[in-house]
Amino acid sequence: MALTGPLFRINRYRRLAWSVSSGLCLLSLLGLTLSWLNPAIGAPLRPGLDFTGGTQIQLQRSCEAACSTIEPDQLAQALRELSLPAEDSVRSPNLDSAAIQLLDENRTVVLRLPVLSPAQTQALIDGLGGVLGPLQTSGTEVNTIGPSLGRQLLNASIASLLVSFTGIALYISFRYSRLYAFLALLCLAHDVLITTGLFAWLGLLSGLQVDSLFAVALLTVAGYSVNDTVVVFDRIRERQRDLAALSVEDQVDDAVAVTLTRSAYTTLTTLLPLLALIFFGGSTLFWFAIALSVGISVGSWSSIAIAPTLLAVISGGPAVPERSPG
Amino acid sequence: MARPQGWFALILALAIAAAAVLASFPLQLGLDLRGGSQLTLQVMPAGAITRVEREQLEAVQLVLDRRVNGLGVAESTLQTVGDDQLLLQLPGEQDPTRAAKVLGSTALLEFRAQRPGTEQEMQGLLPLKRQAEAVLARLEGRGRQDPAPASPPGQEPPPAPAFPSEELGAALTSLGVSVPEGASEAEQLTVLLDEVNRRVVALYEPAALTGKDLVTAGRQQRTNGPGWDVTLGFNQQGGEAFARLTQTIAGSGRLLGIVLDGRSISEASVGQEFAAAGIAGGAASITGNFSAEEARDLEVQLRGGSLPLPVRIIEVRTVGPTLGAENVRRSLIAALSGLAMVAVFMVVVFRLPGVVAVIALALYALFNLAIYALIPVTLTLPGIAGFILSVGMAVDANVLIFERVKEELRRGNTLIRSIDTGFSLAFSSILDGHLTTLISCAALFGLGTGLVKGFAVTLAIGVLLSLFTALTVTRSLLRLLMTYPSLRRPTYFVPAGQLPA
Repeated sequence: MALTGPLFRINRYRRLAWSVSSGLCLLSLLGLTLSWLNPAIGAPLRPGLDFTGGTQIQLQRSCEAACSTIEPDQLAQALRELSLPAEDSVRSPNLDSAAIQLLDENRTVVLRLPVLSPAQTQALIDGLGGVLGPLQTSGTEVNTIGPSLGRQLLNASIASLLVSFTGIALYISFRYSRLYAFLALLCLAHDVLITTGLFAWLGLLSGLQVDSLFAVALLTVAGYSVNDTVVVFDRIRERQRDLAALSVEDQVDDAVAVTLTRSAYTTLTTLLPLLALIFFGGSTLFWFAIALSVGISVGSWSSIAIAPTLLAVISGGPAVPERSPG
Repeated sequence: MARPQGWFALILALAIAAAAVLASFPLQLGLDLRGGSQLTLQVMPAGAITRVEREQLEAVQLVLDRRVNGLGVAESTLQTVGDDQLLLQLPGEQDPTRAAKVLGSTALLEFRAQRPGTEQEMQGLLPLKRQAEAVLARLEGRGRQDPAPASPPGQEPPPAPAFPSEELGAALTSLGVSVPEGASEAEQLTVLLDEVNRRVVALYEPAALTGKDLVTAGRQQRTNGPGWDVTLGFNQQGGEAFARLTQTIAGSGRLLGIVLDGRSISEASVGQEFAAAGIAGGAASITGNFSAEEARDLEVQLRGGSLPLPVRIIEVRTVGPTLGAENVRRSLIAALSGLAMVAVFMVVVFRLPGVVAVIALALYALFNLAIYALIPVTLTLPGIAGFILSVGMAVDANVLIFERVKEELRRGNTLIRSIDTGFSLAFSSILDGHLTTLISCAALFGLGTGLVKGFAVTLAIGVLLSLFTALTVTRSLLRLLMTYPSLRRPTYFVPAGQLPA
């Protein structure tokens, strides 16, 4: 059956696949650069509370049928008029820079502020009562994160990413070869780059901030991407034993063709729970699920279209026979 | 065909055990799921200490633990995080202001001299204190107790730890305190002890010296005779103040009180020989026939009381209970509906093995939850995300196997042979994929912060279990089914059109 050749030959479309991926990578790099150059952001991604530090207060107003309309300006005005209790460890914070968001038809109010002490936070919530009316205390969520913790989180994320890259590279070099490891990491970088690129653009265009869950998502995408690539590589290696007479290109085509169904099924079954999270899950996990869905789709793409085709080109091209004797 | 049945029995037993575990150990939900407050405290290096050591962190934890218990929040936990941080969790607590205030303030450790002319009153109170402490320690069954005083040699040994009820009642009456009807002995003793301590502290002069000037506290075994001494080391200013303080009471019979947060933790006498210059040199030792454990406790209290390292609150997270409940409900619905869709997909695409995979995956979910309850893993939102993702990997393992089985069938192999070949061929890619994910998990767990750790733990458990279910549960269920001839039809695996003629 293998002699008739696979119906789908990935190498026929490799230039198209490479252009698509290069285009997406360039677009992502552009997004990251623009975000970095943007004076309002000053970083490749718009960092959220988890990274910058500060206090985020989420309040739920209790209103009967519909909540009265409140303009963010009204709240900003109320904030300016507040005087918070001073504390020796915390300088009296400047509330002018507060970011105010009204959600769920004015039902939920989200405030992003500089770091406040618990007493100051309470004073602020009490002080806003006049504008907001009665609040549902059970719906209040207050998060305060010191700036040092954000830096610590960022460093920890980068360190664990680098360590897991190294670990994976060592494992693949050991089980396969250094070329496979290089290609797996290349794909991984490709997947992570495109996912972060998307969020850079989202940050630029709609002000979306990345939180620590985004870092978790990136790490997962990295693991998943390698998993996908390894499955295809495993098949290529098997084909190199079974079809030693054929060119590398043909072996790769064959391996990709037989794993294509599996890749499609797996991506689909992984996306199903994530889509469920996007559509039914709480708001807390919405962007997390988006990041994972995008990353896993891109990872699936790169494991089919990028890693195998690059392997075919790098490991000798079409005319060179396999070095291992049949 | 005894082997698949044997495996099947094992799987069944595991499933029953898992269900029993789930029934008897409740799942622990994180604060983001059930509401509450969480504070992260950074222990800051100060003075001569440039790096926070393990024992300093523990000393701070011990002091703060006692203060947190004083807050009266049920199930509050205080644990160390990394080298220099503490994590305080207060389930159900919506207002962390009080906790923050209590934690933020440095414990007040004071050295106070007894006021002149109060010797007699003190002599009345101290035996009560000793007795109450000893009995209370015995009642609570704890090994630790407050250290005995520095009693001069020759004094009677302390009485056996018992407190007859009429004596206790008389003591309470004489102190002018009343206890509610039906209070247990321990409660009465606590009331008594509080009152005695309050009175003892009232007999002291204002603090001449505070823990600020205490540089070190240690303990050492006595060179002559059994027991331990607790040593103190002051900075220069503290040493001078301590010398003046001890000079005033040396040989007078008045005591030196060590007061922590308004509670007298130790009363020491100062010998006549120090009347000239006091205990000078900035170092002193409390000689009190301490047991090793008592000495350690006092040492930690002294060191912690002086809180050589200030604490800063670097993170406060508060989640309202309805918000938490909402998150649980939504994530649960999402997880279940996602799994239901996956189940439908598997049955439609893979037919009979798809059904087997769905059973295997249901068991997989059960095993996962049982392990969360057993370890126990505190479930947080990222943890649930890790679980959902590991389900994806478990499904992938089944997909890989069944696709291989289909391929073998299409080549014209027999059913049983195709199943065996399918499993063994899929194994290496499943192993590689799972191991690489495990490597990532290890990196995330080792280097990540709390949130990331929760994710890594559930993902790692899921990946390990997935290896087990895909290779054992799915396989033995399938082989068990294949013992029934009526099920041994290739068309239950692949559409007839794809089979070779």
